[in-house]
Amino acid sequence: MAPSPQTIGEFSVLPISIPPVPSFPRNVVHYLYVRRNTPKIPTANDSRSLFLANVPIDSTELHLRALFASLVGAGRFESASFEDERKEAEAVAAALDAAPAQAVRLLAAHGKKRKREDQEAAERAEEEAAARLPSTWTRPLRKSGSTAVVLLADEKSVHQVLKAIAKVHKSKKYPTWGGEGNVVAERVPQLGSIWLKAHNQLSYPDRDQLQAAVDAFSTMFARREREAAEIAKRLRNEPDEDGFVTVTRGGRSAPATRNEAEEAKKKMIEKAEKKKQEMTDFYRFQMRERKKAEQEELVKRFEEDRQKLDAMRQKRGKFVPEA
Amino acid sequence: MEPGSAKRRKIGHSRGSESAVGNIDAAASSGLSRGRAFILEAEELVDEVKLDYATALEGVDSLLHKIKGSIEAIEAHDALQISEAATKLEKKHKIQIPFPEPRPSDKSNYKVAFAKPSQFNVVGSYVSKTMIKAQKSHAVDMVVVIPGETLQEKDYLDLRYFYKRAYFLGVVAAALQKDLAEDGELSYEYLNGNTLSPILSLKLKVEGEKKEGRLDYRVRIIPCAPDNFFPKSKLHLGATLVRKAGGDESKAATKPTPFYNSTVVSESCFFPYLKLLRQTEKKCAAFKKACILGRVWLQQRGLGSDMADGGFGHFEWAVLLALLLQSGDSTKGHAPLSTSLSATQLFKAMVQFLSVTNLSEKSCVLGTAAVESETAGPVLFDAVRGLNIAFKMSNWSAAKLHQHAKWTRSLLNDSTADQFTPTFILKADLPWQNYDLIAHLNYDGKQDKTEPIDCRGRLWEYSDKVHRVLKRALQDEELGERARSIHIQLPKSSPWDLTKKPSTKQNHTIEIGVLFNAANMTRSVDRGPAAGPSNEEKEECARFQRFWGEKSELRRFEGDSIRETLIWSSTSPFDLCEEIMRYILKLHLRVAYLEDELTFHGDGFTELIPIKPTDTSVFNAARKAFSSFEKDIRDLDDMPLHWPESIVAIQRTKIAFLRMIGDLLERSKPGEVRSYVGLESSTTTNTELENLAYLDIVYESGPAFRLRIHSDLEEALLTRQSHDKTIDQHHRHQASVLLSNFRRLYYHLPLHTQSINTFATRFPAFSPTVRLLKHWFSSHKLASHFTPDFIELVALQTFLSPYPWDAPSSPSVGLLRALLFLSRWDWRSEPLIVDTNSDMPPSERSAIATRLEAWRKIDPLMNHTVLFVATAQESSGVAYTTVNGIAQPSKVVAARMTALAKTACRVIREEGVELDARRLFVPSTKEYDVLMHLSPKAIKAVSKVYPSEELTSTTTKSSSGSKYKNLSATAGEDALPLPSAPVDTFFEKLEQVYGSGSSAPLLFFRGGEEEKVVGAIWNPTLGRRGLKVNLGTSYKPVKSAGKRKLGGDEKDDEDKEKEEEEQLVEVNREAILSEIARIGGELVERIEVQRE
Repeated sequence: MAPSPQTIGEFSVLPISIPPVPSFPRNVVHYLYVRRNTPKIPTANDSRSLFLANVPIDSTELHLRALFASLVGAGRFESASFEDERKEAEAVAAALDAAPAQAVRLLAAHGKKRKREDQEAAERAEEEAAARLPSTWTRPLRKSGSTAVVLLADEKSVHQVLKAIAKVHKSKKYPTWGGEGNVVAERVPQLGSIWLKAHNQLSYPDRDQLQAAVDAFSTMFARREREAAEIAKRLRNEPDEDGFVTVTRGGRSAPATRNEAEEAKKKMIEKAEKKKQEMTDFYRFQMRERKKAEQEELVKRFEEDRQKLDAMRQKRGKFVPEA
Repeated sequence: MEPGSAKRRKIGHSRGSESAVGNIDAAASSGLSRGRAFILEAEELVDEVKLDYATALEGVDSLLHKIKGSIEAIEAHDALQISEAATKLEKKHKIQIPFPEPRPSDKSNYKVAFAKPSQFNVVGSYVSKTMIKAQKSHAVDMVVVIPGETLQEKDYLDLRYFYKRAYFLGVVAAALQKDLAEDGELSYEYLNGNTLSPILSLKLKVEGEKKEGRLDYRVRIIPCAPDNFFPKSKLHLGATLVRKAGGDESKAATKPTPFYNSTVVSESCFFPYLKLLRQTEKKCAAFKKACILGRVWLQQRGLGSDMADGGFGHFEWAVLLALLLQSGDSTKGHAPLSTSLSATQLFKAMVQFLSVTNLSEKSCVLGTAAVESETAGPVLFDAVRGLNIAFKMSNWSAAKLHQHAKWTRSLLNDSTADQFTPTFILKADLPWQNYDLIAHLNYDGKQDKTEPIDCRGRLWEYSDKVHRVLKRALQDEELGERARSIHIQLPKSSPWDLTKKPSTKQNHTIEIGVLFNAANMTRSVDRGPAAGPSNEEKEECARFQRFWGEKSELRRFEGDSIRETLIWSSTSPFDLCEEIMRYILKLHLRVAYLEDELTFHGDGFTELIPIKPTDTSVFNAARKAFSSFEKDIRDLDDMPLHWPESIVAIQRTKIAFLRMIGDLLERSKPGEVRSYVGLESSTTTNTELENLAYLDIVYESGPAFRLRIHSDLEEALLTRQSHDKTIDQHHRHQASVLLSNFRRLYYHLPLHTQSINTFATRFPAFSPTVRLLKHWFSSHKLASHFTPDFIELVALQTFLSPYPWDAPSSPSVGLLRALLFLSRWDWRSEPLIVDTNSDMPPSERSAIATRLEAWRKIDPLMNHTVLFVATAQESSGVAYTTVNGIAQPSKVVAARMTALAKTACRVIREEGVELDARRLFVPSTKEYDVLMHLSPKAIKAVSKVYPSEELTSTTTKSSSGSKYKNLSATAGEDALPLPSAPVDTFFEKLEQVYGSGSSAPLLFFRGGEEEKVVGAIWNPTLGRRGLKVNLGTSYKPVKSAGKRKLGGDEKDDEDKEKEEEEQLVEVNREAILSEIARIGGELVERIEVQRE
């Protein structure tokens, strides 16, 4: 086997040997691309974390722990966070947060963000976790070619890992996925048919568990709706930074919901349309113009037919009867 | 043809200052847009098929002169006794004289002489220049008039003229053989398959290389009688002119011989018709073009002048059209058709005429003449020339012509359909596109002891009898017509060598095609006439009994009516038809005592899938179960309904709601119902916005239902979100995907199901056709890429727009037509418009077409929109072919579908009647890069799960130990329902991991659930590329070994740097396959790499 390059751009290439599987009994090499983590918005832990690209789809934290242990010994690996998990968490949080959306929008329009104490944020997270629906899989799969960020014990470990990767290329002894003898496999939920069966089971979660999640959500939702209504009410009377007061639809007691607003708009458009229709063919010139337009349309259509025919002529065989 | 045209033209002129007036005029005079297109296309067709006579028939003139010279040089001789003359000629020139059967006996004292022909002429479509490129064979017809002095007026009797004609031909053949041996090959053939009229055919030897555009034509030398030689009054259709044909003088004498009589008349009609056609050409400018259109139309339907082709071809078309353009006496000087009509108008008029005139049922006389209505066979009588133009036709070919004309007329009346292609381009005579059942009947002439009456041959008379019996058995209007058409295909006569006698083959195979009337063919009890006391009724019953034999029995029906009844034992339409045909042919023709005398074809398709007569009842049971479920739900009390104004909250409320419904149902029907609230795996990243919850309700009595909740507010919120400019593009897109999923699930699919249900009742063959078509998609591992509703719509299209035929009446025909449609559908530029309400206005149609055009402009590579399918309910065009915002199928798969359909159609065409249905369903696996063999055992094991089964533990060891525990833990428990088939879940998960559509590295092809081999191909568009984060699939560095060798080991730093910059990555195929193997576990038995 020809040697693979040690680095591509700023990435170090880490080949991983994948043990054969009964249905595909080949020794396969997977390539992980590793670099120091430099996110766009820096965080405190950047210096001791590594950015991995192209993680295998069946990666778990345990897999990565074993991988790093085989590179630099045990005790250096702290945790791993996977791209899709991160994204999903963000999306869910945003969705839960977006309810009651109108209040959020009003706040944003006023350039005001709800200030959140750390404690409040933690509370919210807990609340959200309780409201989440149970997963239907015993073990998640990563999207192919996706990334992960690994947090190591300290900055030194990062350096050591990169050095170890360079060494791997020289020694040609690639670390094995799942550790030597695939020890990790024993400690993570199995894939394959057991996994699919478990999915079937988890697709029908316990009713009480489900109800609890729904209840937790309802409580949270009701409270946030109340909060939002209050904010909206308050904003009606409060001038913004430039001294303007936003005029919002609705009665004295509360602003109108979006639905009502939309219906009102629809009605208005309909009315305008009706009026417009009543006025067609009222004057002679309107009729003349309409007829002229119709005639032009006819000519246009005829031209189009001609063009279509020309196009068909281009396609040979369209006019030859089938033998 | 266009009633409004004159008026509109006037308006056009009165406006007239713009330059476009000319165009308007043309547009207005041709009416609707479709009609206009038809005219332009037909003109284009005429141009396309026209022959370039100079190159195509190069050298024909000099050849004709040479032939003429050669014939003129033949020495005349005086009358000789016929057998003597024949023997002399045959011996001298070593040729045979093609005497018709029965050959003249040696003792007969007819005298034959030879004299120089009185006239030579070239006739037929060579003269009128109406030959076309696509003809099966091209011939230039030269008629040679037998001089009157060698004939006698009385020769029209007893084949005498035909003996003389054969002798004349023999003499000519002998001379030409001597003179033209170098120019080509001479052989005898029958003129239009008529055994009375042999002719001489000269096929030119082609020397050197064949020139571009030059045809393999032949020259036909046709002897004929002088004009008006025989007295027409003696040759009327009811005359008996062959008295010696039968041995039994008295019996045969009473039977008229219309075919023989017409042949005699036709022998002296070559010149009158030539004259008629030339005159019409001069009078009517569009006549020739209309004839060309007619020729194409007839040819595509397998109709031709040859008796085996139905006896109605270009010549008959041209003559009929010419007669309609002529002012006759009966029409008071007014011709039925005006000579100023255009070619397409003339064509349409002809189709109209043929569609209202069924020649087999009613004689049609052009001009004034009395025609014996008693004559057998179709009559289209030209009074002026005294010829029955349709004399070569049979009852079944007249019916076929009538039927095709009717179908074409309804097509020409349908302004929304593509009128041109089905009318002229499609080959409409393939056996399996036309008949639901085809039977082969072996005929043995040696067994046939009947004496022929007319001169069409015993085989023809036998076939005619078969047709009459079958027509009475299957097309009885009193009983309810079981077959829409019965057609008989007779073998064609072929040319034979000059030195040989014409073929006297005794064994023939008659092909019988039956087109079902789907509504009536399923009937297993036939109610005949009522048995009553009156004489009339008695006679009626006796007639019925005579025809049906002992099968007929008396039965009492409700309302105390007693009727003659036929009880058939078969259940499927095909088997019923076979049973009836076997019975009645055996009864009346004494055939099918031996099994192989009568063989049936056409049920091969239905055997492929388990179509049973009980299917309907099973289906009805399911429908009933559904309505009772609906009632159960409606009966539930205390259903709260208040939706919060937030999608996330709506989804949560649905869960609570479902739970409540489940509880209420279980409580209201204790012990009868189990319910399970389930969660689907999400398809997008945002799990909270999607409708994931459903309720599975399992009745103890068997049926199970999946319930989802529809909320109007959800749609409104999603609509708002997908238009909301204040949120980012990604979320907007997500909302629009969810919205289209929502609409698909809650609007389109219910409406679709409803309309499909209606059509399944309206067309009995529709639902088995859908099942066959789905089976085809499945067999070729395409099923996972197409929504079932799409496949249903394709099948439906062949019923709603069946042109050039009528709606299919059996699943096999339905399938083949659907495949034909798929093979011809140019989905890159054409939308599929299924007009489910059959009232879609043209503006809507053109709007749909414009929408497709717009899509193709935005997305020319077809990454997002591929197949464009619109119906009356759903005109956006993408609802049936987009799932989760991704085109189903992708372009690659759609192209594969087309290719497979094309191959299937080629096989259908090549195999003809002998088509083995299974061949169309044999999948080919060699195109796939990778094959995945799934383990049926593992799939089965995965399919049954119990609620308390221990599955979620992390250790593998427990699974082996827990087997025993499982048994005890799950004892007495009901298995959980399946969220979806395990294999589907597995592949959905793979799709989620690797992406789908154009970005996925691997494209899977799998069929139905029972399919154990899944094919896959690597995406060819994912080539080598530079490394960046989120390439979306597993990549490996490309080994740059080749480059290093080039450069050697010693390189300066600059080179090295450059190489590093160029370091590319490519898809790590092995790693991906290994990953799939890991995910699948036991489910995947083996991954076979067919190509590295």
